[in-house]
Amino acid sequence: MKNRLIPWLMVLPVLALFLSMTIYPFVFMIWSSFRQYDLSKGAETRFIGLSNYLQIFSDTTAIESFKFTAKLLAIAVPVELLLGIGVAFLIRGVRGEKIIRSSLLIPMMVPAAVSGVAWKMLYNYAFGPVNWFLSLFGIPRISWLGDMTYAQLGIILIDVWQWTPFVFLMIYAGLQSIPQDLIDAARVDGADWGRVFLHVEFPLLKPLILVALVLRIIDCLKTFDIVFMTTWGGPGAATHTYSFYIYKVGVSFGWNIGYASALSVLLLLVSMLLVNIVFRLVRMRQQLGFGGEGE
Amino acid sequence: MRTILRVLRYILIVICLVFFLFPVYWLVITAFKPAKEWFTWPPTFWPTQFTFSNFFGAKETEVFGGTTGSIENIFPYLRNSIVVGVSVSLIATMISALAAYAIARYKVGGAFLAEWIISIRMLPPIVSAVPLYVIFSRLRLINTWWALILSHLVVVVPLGVWLLISFFREIPREIDEAAYVDGASVFQTFFYVIFPLSAPGLAAVAVLSLIQSWGEFLLALVLTNDARAQTLPIFLGRYITGWRVAWGPLSAAGIVTMLPVVVFAIIAQRYLIRGLTFGAVKG
Repeated sequence: MKNRLIPWLMVLPVLALFLSMTIYPFVFMIWSSFRQYDLSKGAETRFIGLSNYLQIFSDTTAIESFKFTAKLLAIAVPVELLLGIGVAFLIRGVRGEKIIRSSLLIPMMVPAAVSGVAWKMLYNYAFGPVNWFLSLFGIPRISWLGDMTYAQLGIILIDVWQWTPFVFLMIYAGLQSIPQDLIDAARVDGADWGRVFLHVEFPLLKPLILVALVLRIIDCLKTFDIVFMTTWGGPGAATHTYSFYIYKVGVSFGWNIGYASALSVLLLLVSMLLVNIVFRLVRMRQQLGFGGEGE
Repeated sequence: MRTILRVLRYILIVICLVFFLFPVYWLVITAFKPAKEWFTWPPTFWPTQFTFSNFFGAKETEVFGGTTGSIENIFPYLRNSIVVGVSVSLIATMISALAAYAIARYKVGGAFLAEWIISIRMLPPIVSAVPLYVIFSRLRLINTWWALILSHLVVVVPLGVWLLISFFREIPREIDEAAYVDGASVFQTFFYVIFPLSAPGLAAVAVLSLIQSWGEFLLALVLTNDARAQTLPIFLGRYITGWRVAWGPLSAAGIVTMLPVVVFAIIAQRYLIRGLTFGAVKG
């Protein structure tokens, strides 16, 4: 308006932050993904073409981590969606709604490291409340974090516990925004609650459910702290998430920067694809005020 | 029939409450149990003897012949969490507000810049963790507050910018224009007119930034290596890996890590909902 430079000055700090902290690392990552760059074998690097990328296909732990991440997406995310939607409808209009709502949101506010501590105690083989609860039904003790299948199930359950509240919150907020007259009108016309849900509420909630779905998928790809705190990827490679495996390759085990970079590039590509989908779903441009309706 | 459904509904609600609250309850209750009750079968759901010694007192706790860390040495980590969290929160609010205002009012950089900033929020942090380690070690910033502050800013600023763009857009343009007519510069308008009007939005960004920085695990794990800069979540992570874990002090440390965030989040709940639902829900 007055001076074209001033608005640019205002974005300058953020711009400088992101240019130095994201562009440079990304360029570095792509560059190193084509090189043999292993700090444990000295810092010397050399160009090796696609070898790092090809290595992924013959690396059984990488494939295991890929599989477990897929399982997490395939099981935890749908469960979170169904449960979140169910809980939102369950508590709507109930007595003490506000207190119940606030209580149900607590898990997503607890830092993941703390939930890790809590769940590790709950899953404890000899003294944990989970096994105690099962023993009431005559079910023998389960080694929750020591057995491959149960450890995977255990991580999935923690994810469900921590993130169902997020889905619940989104759907609940969406439900609040549906005008009550719309529901009343349908009731007057003789619709039972099933029809109201199917023909009034669900169509209005559908975009939100889609957004929740994709956001959960994106965040599931980041799963790291819970694994670190409870199973440390074990037993064997059973509960390695993809993010956790990159950490092991790039930091805790090997300092194999080149290979970790190649793994990261793959994750980055998948994430960017998903981010694009979210942006379409929420009509990001219009929301930000570029094009479309409004100004 | 109606009553049966109502009763069923309340039963389901109680089951949900138990499932979502029990892990937190267990953590809290363990923090108040004396050492002999950490490992009992059946587990005790209410401590027979309420104790604060997991928080204070015992320097080292003996468990099955081995000693494990106690909450005694948590203070450097608490200090680091506070320094990093508060700095991140203040800097993030300031620079997000500046950028969001320029984007909302002047469309600086167009849709591309805005979308690019926001998309960073959705990328997995592990992707940049390894390159950041390499860069920070060249700059000799590994194991300093600066490494954490800078990297956490990258995590929190996108959400702040996003939230504030929609906030500023709700403030009528006429207000800015009136200020210009009165002879105020862009910066003056921003600081004296827009800033006070958007206080709730700024507060939400500050609280959200603090919460995210406080709980952040991966970057803190990669970029720090001892009590000089490590934060509370890393403190917990260090103690949970051992074979002999003193559950009492660890739970007490968990409470110290959890409490500020949960209290903040509950107080600011109304404002947070917008941020937490990712701007996908209006209102």
